[in-house]
Amino acid sequence: MKKIVLAEDNTTLSLLLKFRLEKEGYELFMAKDGKDALDLIETHEPDLIITDIMMPFISGLEVISHVRIKLDMDTPIIVFSAAGQEEMVLKAFNLGANDFMGKPFSPNELVIRVKRLLTVIPIS
Amino acid sequence: MIDNLPLSANFNESPLLIQVAWIASCVLLSVIILLSIYLKIMRFHLRKKDKDNAQFKNEYEAYLIEYLYSGDTTGKINELQDSIIQKLKASVSIKSKRKIIISVLYNLMNEVSGEMSVSIKQLYYNTGLINYALKRLESKRWHIIAKGIGELTRFKIDEAHHKVSKFVNHPRSEVRKETQLYLVSLFRFEGLSFLNNLTTPLSEWAQIQLLETLQKFDDQQICDIRPWLKSTNDSVVLFALKLAQIYNQFEVQDTLMELLAHPKKQIRISAIQVLTHLYGVEAKELLKANFNDLSLEEQICFFGMLEKLVMPSDEPFVEKYLFHKNFEIQLLALKILKSINIDKYMGLSETTTTEKDSSMIKLVNTL
Repeated sequence: MKKIVLAEDNTTLSLLLKFRLEKEGYELFMAKDGKDALDLIETHEPDLIITDIMMPFISGLEVISHVRIKLDMDTPIIVFSAAGQEEMVLKAFNLGANDFMGKPFSPNELVIRVKRLLTVIPIS
Repeated sequence: MIDNLPLSANFNESPLLIQVAWIASCVLLSVIILLSIYLKIMRFHLRKKDKDNAQFKNEYEAYLIEYLYSGDTTGKINELQDSIIQKLKASVSIKSKRKIIISVLYNLMNEVSGEMSVSIKQLYYNTGLINYALKRLESKRWHIIAKGIGELTRFKIDEAHHKVSKFVNHPRSEVRKETQLYLVSLFRFEGLSFLNNLTTPLSEWAQIQLLETLQKFDDQQICDIRPWLKSTNDSVVLFALKLAQIYNQFEVQDTLMELLAHPKKQIRISAIQVLTHLYGVEAKELLKANFNDLSLEEQICFFGMLEKLVMPSDEPFVEKYLFHKNFEIQLLALKILKSINIDKYMGLSETTTTEKDSSMIKLVNTL
């Protein structure tokens, strides 16, 4: 079972996505802020990370930076961003994010993107 | 010896000042003890309330997710969804629980799109929450009305249009602002029709919020703004001028030209700025002809226009103001001359006699 860490401070949205992704057969680890997300990533070494950009304590950008630079992991990362955070999205891509979704988004679309990222076979 | 006396005897024998001090100390001590107990009880209740609220929130979140995922493609309410609606309906009559349910629904509605957003709105109707928001509009207290309109805006309840639009000229600016945001958020440019009947001032902050709301929409096809440019409400005219500039309304240039003769100076200045943005060459000629009749601010603004729309034929006019007593006009005139006839501009340094003018030329040289 593929593992996903989901970092999102909106508990209702987290719960909705957890329900949807678990239905698709993924194992979900929920983080309510960036700090929790880093703990979960280091403990569970997930196959995919989904993170919001704006979060308490540690932002989504810091999570990406930590994963790519400090942990040196190439785990795919999907970023959520609200309208008006276009610059943040560019920063997220520069730091090593693989995909982004602007809020409000469709959970069904997220599932398609998750599947696509988790089924891509590396060329090497 | 005094130590062996009973406390009351000791107290009675002590001087009046000491007695007063003792009484005051006892009263203060009692007050501190009572307040500490009160604080403890209050903290206990607040913590309990927070805990209960968190518990209710978790419960309602679970209901909401269950409701959303138990629906089918037909959109009809099934048995499970109906039981959830009934459970929520039972809670919405309690104010504190209603607040939690609304926040849970809104938190999610803001984050998801498509069918789910529609389902959440449907749930808002089915649980009867909409009736509470509509009831708020009938309140005599302005802040309750404003909150009600805000809620209807957040849940995109466009059916309340007639009930909300009657607050367009409400005496409280907060209610007016919420009404305007409701109309523009839900009906986009069509919602701006409230400007036709607006008799109260539209504050600068309200204008900014309306413009920000309008810019969020994908469809940026603006309606005819001419009636607002001709409005008797000055704040509406100023807002329409902002719209003309942001949405590049070249077709309203004639109406903008008429505003150059508006009785309000602020409107005349804004009209010059918008015409500058829209390359209003005709306005330039008109203003040039009436330059001496303009106020100083308008003259400065006109030179700003001239800087952008200058033609070689404007050189004789500009030359007249190269040594104008106003700093901004002189600076702009020198800059304009430098841009259209550099040779004549270079020759100025030899002909200037005053220290102020030669300093200005040196300044413009650096620009």
